[in-house]
Amino acid sequence: MLLGTAPQSLDPGLDYTTQGSEFNWVVYTGLTTYAHSTGAAGGNLIPGLCAALPVISDGGKTYTCTLRKGLTYSNGKPVKASDFAYTVERAINVPWGGSGSFITPNIVGAQAYANHKAKSISGITTDDATGKITIHLTAAYGPFDNVLAFPSLGLIPSGFPMKVEATSPPPGDGPYMITNIVPNQSFTAVRNPHWAAQNIPGIPAGHVTVNVKISSNVQANALSVLNNSADIFDWADTIPGSLLGQIQSQAASRFKMVNLGGSTYYIFMNMTEKPFNNQLAREAVVTGLNQDAMSRLGSGTLEPACYFLPPAVPGHPTVPCPYGTPGLGNIAKAKQLVQQSGMAGQPVTVWSETRSPRQQWMTYYTQYLNQIGFKATQKVIADATYFTTIGQSKSVHPQTGFADWNQDFPNPVDFYGPLLDGASILPTNNENFGQTNDPYINAQVKKLGATPSTQLSTVAAQWQALDEYVAKKAYVAVFGYQKFPFFASTRMNYGALVFQPIYGWDITSFALK
Amino acid sequence: MSVISGPGSAAVEEVGGGFDAGFEGEGQLPPGIGPWKLAWRRLRRNRVAMFFGFVFLLVVVLCLLAPVYSQDIAHISPDYGNPTGTFTLNGKTQFVLNTVGVPIGPTWNVNHFFFGADDQGRDVAVRLLYGGRTSLMIGAVATLITMIIGTLLGIVAGFFRGWWDAILRSANDVVWTYPAVLLGITVGTVLNIHGIGPLHGTSALVPAVVIGFVYIPYVFRPVRGQVLTLRERDFIDAARQQGLSNWQIMISEILPNLSSTIVVFVPLIMANAILLEAGLTFLGAGVQPPNASWGTMISDGINNDIPTAFHNVLVPGIMLVIAVMSINIFGDGLRDALDPRSKVRVGR
Repeated sequence: MLLGTAPQSLDPGLDYTTQGSEFNWVVYTGLTTYAHSTGAAGGNLIPGLCAALPVISDGGKTYTCTLRKGLTYSNGKPVKASDFAYTVERAINVPWGGSGSFITPNIVGAQAYANHKAKSISGITTDDATGKITIHLTAAYGPFDNVLAFPSLGLIPSGFPMKVEATSPPPGDGPYMITNIVPNQSFTAVRNPHWAAQNIPGIPAGHVTVNVKISSNVQANALSVLNNSADIFDWADTIPGSLLGQIQSQAASRFKMVNLGGSTYYIFMNMTEKPFNNQLAREAVVTGLNQDAMSRLGSGTLEPACYFLPPAVPGHPTVPCPYGTPGLGNIAKAKQLVQQSGMAGQPVTVWSETRSPRQQWMTYYTQYLNQIGFKATQKVIADATYFTTIGQSKSVHPQTGFADWNQDFPNPVDFYGPLLDGASILPTNNENFGQTNDPYINAQVKKLGATPSTQLSTVAAQWQALDEYVAKKAYVAVFGYQKFPFFASTRMNYGALVFQPIYGWDITSFALK
Repeated sequence: MSVISGPGSAAVEEVGGGFDAGFEGEGQLPPGIGPWKLAWRRLRRNRVAMFFGFVFLLVVVLCLLAPVYSQDIAHISPDYGNPTGTFTLNGKTQFVLNTVGVPIGPTWNVNHFFFGADDQGRDVAVRLLYGGRTSLMIGAVATLITMIIGTLLGIVAGFFRGWWDAILRSANDVVWTYPAVLLGITVGTVLNIHGIGPLHGTSALVPAVVIGFVYIPYVFRPVRGQVLTLRERDFIDAARQQGLSNWQIMISEILPNLSSTIVVFVPLIMANAILLEAGLTFLGAGVQPPNASWGTMISDGINNDIPTAFHNVLVPGIMLVIAVMSINIFGDGLRDALDPRSKVRVGR
């Protein structure tokens, strides 16, 4: 299997990337997990190491579940309830990139632990004799069941070092385990010999050993799979347009483009400084942006869009876009809006990664900004440091640039919480790149975010109204929902492969013909 | 000013000894012919060098005419990408980029995408010429920086010796030991983010400064070596006795005697600078998008356009080879013409 980008880490205590999650979710099973299914069914939560989905009580503030009997890690040691508390503490210490969004604000005592004011997290109580785990939240948080499914909260043995172990990550309890790690080069996923005996329903054991190689030349990767010298092309990479036609004609039976419905590609605009602190200037960007061009630059893999919530997330609006149907864009109107805003001639720096087609998108966006009346220049940053760099809201304060988000779970708060809620703005590691701080959005996220995942349908209309509000305010310039390549060699039993909507390839479904 | 070494001295001695071959039957060398004129005559006889010098000049002129081609012939600017654009050629309407982003190939029509389009829908021929301006400009500025600083430091180190020499030589050795490409990438990447003084990080002058810095040791060492020899000559003592200061001696006595060395280095450093710029840009540490240079065009072509739009790699690659090869061959010819030990051929 060829990966164009290396995982941040194969240690779940650190990793918060698509590439890492793709493997870690079948290595570190959490208290809950997702169905191993293609399509919308893959977004459904199922019990993981807990015998049943957690019982929610106390107005949504208490989650209780009991571990299954006979659980063992890949090293043969038994799984204990107290390991969950240790896992959460380690995620805070390492630290895991999602801990600030999902752990410390939500679990009672987690913030005190993170600030070294407590030796343990008071909101988590466990009983090793019965396997019972009780978690108390600071306030009702609807998607907490989804949070428990994060691979970074997948149980690991208590006592494992509280630091990143890049080449010897902790053992987990899942269908696979990771071995032979050469950072940024390769690793191997082998079947966990202790998994099948645990007989956990809904989580298959897997069939094959998967040798993973990191290769940044996605063109070469695609050719390798086409020529059957490699078996799997990573879904998160983009197949160059120059190869698409060839692949579609030569490998039609083992290739398709799939819209997972869970990712949004957008341009952030910094609300705290000129020109994008002016709504007319932001409307100009959205009005004239040629999404057909963006799609062609992305090898035709983008579905034009205007709403922040993608199709698979409840609350995705279905009404027409407020600034016209996404397509060729209205340049004349955009120029007019720039003039009206009084921001014509304003210097703008467009931030971008190096990898294709993200650099191409931002080059085109830079040209477009110049066309409509700004004075734009492009700044290209190496992929490995891009998001860290633009996340430095105080020292770098980027004006505009590329951003994307792939759902952690199918809940609108996963998008709004880190990306548009004013409470999530951080001086470093910031994900709210535009520094959006709208009181209405903040209040709605707080209110609607408390709805349990199982009751999302009851607030879907309110999320939709919020998403329409964000589109009208042009806080971000959405330019598409990505379709991803589902491409394998002739050796693979293609019909049996599962393309999980949250994690991409389900390696437990990999099997040879 | 006393010129001891230089292209003319040996030739003058040879002429004094009855040497007349340089004129191929024209008879005796006229009296008073200077060393530079003699070098020029040698160079002129080197037809290969002259041919490639002309080729390089042609490349420079074409690149300087980029705005003319862009505005008056192709009617498109180098940075203008038109992914959804169409044009009509021979009655047929074509998309610049098709729906999966594959660009149109060479049309061989000077008015429309002569060399085709790149992955952004930009005209390759227009970008080739503008890219040449950038690459050549960077090469020239880098060469200027290298020659000025390298020569100055070499003269100071060789003339003063002692502490000056020790410090400058050590600093030079540090830079010299570091592989040029790696040093260029390291410094270039940092400066691309933060810029240098008044220069914005995306300025094309940033890689010029980086490359100029990287090549200083290549000039410093030979210049220093020559100055160490020159400072022991009698004419330097004579100049001191005349009351000239050290700086006056360096400028009026030492520097002119280095002129042939400096002139020979210029094309050779420039060729290397152009190549290094292409390499750094290819590796992301040189010219920043959307500015065109031969390096960015090759990089974009390799990353995005193989195999269906291979022309986007081939065209800038061939141009780079022509420019570097022609200036290298011309530089070799120039060195042969200025070499005092070279003997002009007798007849043909």
